Amino acid sequence: MMRSMFSLIRREFAAYFQSPIAYVVLAVFLLVTGHLFALTLNQLTESGPRGVEFPMMILLGDERFWLVFLFIPPLLTMRLLAEERGSGTLEMLMTAPIRDWEVVLAKYIACYAFYIVLWLPTLLYLPILLNLQAVWDWHAWTLFSGMMVGGLGLLVILFFVALPLGMSFFNMFLMLLIGGTLYGVGCWMHYHKDAAHLVELTAKIDPFPILTSYIGVLLAGGMFLALGMFVSSLVRSQMVAALISLILSLIFIVTGFWRPEMDTASLTYRILLYFSVPLHFSKDFTRGLLDSREILFYLSTTIFFLFMTIRSLESRRWR
Amino acid sequence: MIRVEHLTKYYGDYPAVRDVSFEVSKGQIVGFLGPNGAGKSTTMRILAGFNTATSGKAWIDGIDIFWKPIEARRKIGYLPENCPLYTEMRVEEYLNFRGGLKGLNRKTTRQRSDYVMERCWLKEVRRQLIGTLSKGFRQRVGLADALLAAPPVLILDEPTAGLDPAQIRETRKLIRELGEQHTILLSTHILPEVEMTCDWLIIIHQGQVATEGSLDSIRRQSGHKNLEEVFVQLTEAL
Repeated sequence: MMRSMFSLIRREFAAYFQSPIAYVVLAVFLLVTGHLFALTLNQLTESGPRGVEFPMMILLGDERFWLVFLFIPPLLTMRLLAEERGSGTLEMLMTAPIRDWEVVLAKYIACYAFYIVLWLPTLLYLPILLNLQAVWDWHAWTLFSGMMVGGLGLLVILFFVALPLGMSFFNMFLMLLIGGTLYGVGCWMHYHKDAAHLVELTAKIDPFPILTSYIGVLLAGGMFLALGMFVSSLVRSQMVAALISLILSLIFIVTGFWRPEMDTASLTYRILLYFSVPLHFSKDFTRGLLDSREILFYLSTTIFFLFMTIRSLESRRWR
Repeated sequence: MIRVEHLTKYYGDYPAVRDVSFEVSKGQIVGFLGPNGAGKSTTMRILAGFNTATSGKAWIDGIDIFWKPIEARRKIGYLPENCPLYTEMRVEEYLNFRGGLKGLNRKTTRQRSDYVMERCWLKEVRRQLIGTLSKGFRQRVGLADALLAAPPVLILDEPTAGLDPAQIRETRKLIRELGEQHTILLSTHILPEVEMTCDWLIIIHQGQVATEGSLDSIRRQSGHKNLEEVFVQLTEAL
């Protein structure tokens, strides 16, 4: 069961890089976040009374970002099931010994993994957005701290290189064992014998708004991807899947755009506040707030759409 | 090996398969014949686990396909009609993916995919993109995939459709060879094909079994006519 899901996840993830869409999405996304990062940088280095309190607010609280972001999940999810349905390969897939929910989950994981890859380059902005300063202590590099760092490196290689490339299970187990032991023993000895810091990091700008922003990004992305996948399971054409999920995503995004005439005490506004994603970001996530209502909203919507996708895939049986 | 009892499938109000029962014993090559739209593909899809029957039961190697779908699917190698494949993958890559999907471990997958590529004459195109292959080669990839997990039962939906005469001949030979190890249920329109490969015939018309038996017995029943005449007679009479 695990093996078949794993095999499917790998194929689906690789399939992104076998079509030009992934590269286009990546490039456009980087272009936009890069531009917004430049704007943030301007604000951060502004002299006088101007500037910005929460740097992530310019990146993620901005309408320009959401206008572009709107297109990304539909482009990532449109092919997931619609392509299989259209070309008939769904028949090949569903007659393999794999359950419907496993197919849905595997495809969702693959697409979510690509979504994470999409965001990885933005981590490079963090040292500047945090005004991070690192002081390295070269005397702290002893045998034990070396073991710790080496073991950690081995574990990182295991999870990010060996696992996706698909090493044999025995070798991966060996790597896990060696890496884990090295890291564990290194940590223990380093803590008890050396007790010196390898590096001292100081963030001059509060790091928590950035953490909550990324949590928000992961939650909201999960919701949009689940929605897109559900739409993709309903139709045969990738184009139609992309368009419909785009229109459905509009409900969650356009409602959050800035409207100065709106009375923030009105019932409409309070209702909008429940489901308009840009509002969640500009008011809460980018300011370091985690609101349980929003988290619950994203998680429940994600689970709902995943459930609906499984049902929709199952419906071929009785239709 | 395959047992089907009173299988019925409705698409809305339209009965695609009506009360079909038959049995295929181990090691047989059974030809599943019938005009277009007779319900051949639907029956095969139900057996392969893609669709579910409206009523009726079926067993593959004693395993109920409705209650134990995963175990039943492990026993089946299925080649769908038109043989849909991921066109952006390479042949070897595709077979490795399918091996993992069918729950084989890495080592077995490699061994089996080498074996089936040898068997289905795919060695020379192993690094080629499936999208660039000709229809005949694609059909072979589909067949290789069906064989991959060494299932006891093969269900082949029109394995020779769209092939040229030389390829049909090769495929026919391959199916005969496979019949020594596998139980095969294959559907086709090509009657000489059936005469040459199959031990047993099931002729299906308008969702019902019109006749069933060995080639000789069917000929005898209808007074020593050739298969084509029998086929036409049966499918018009009902």
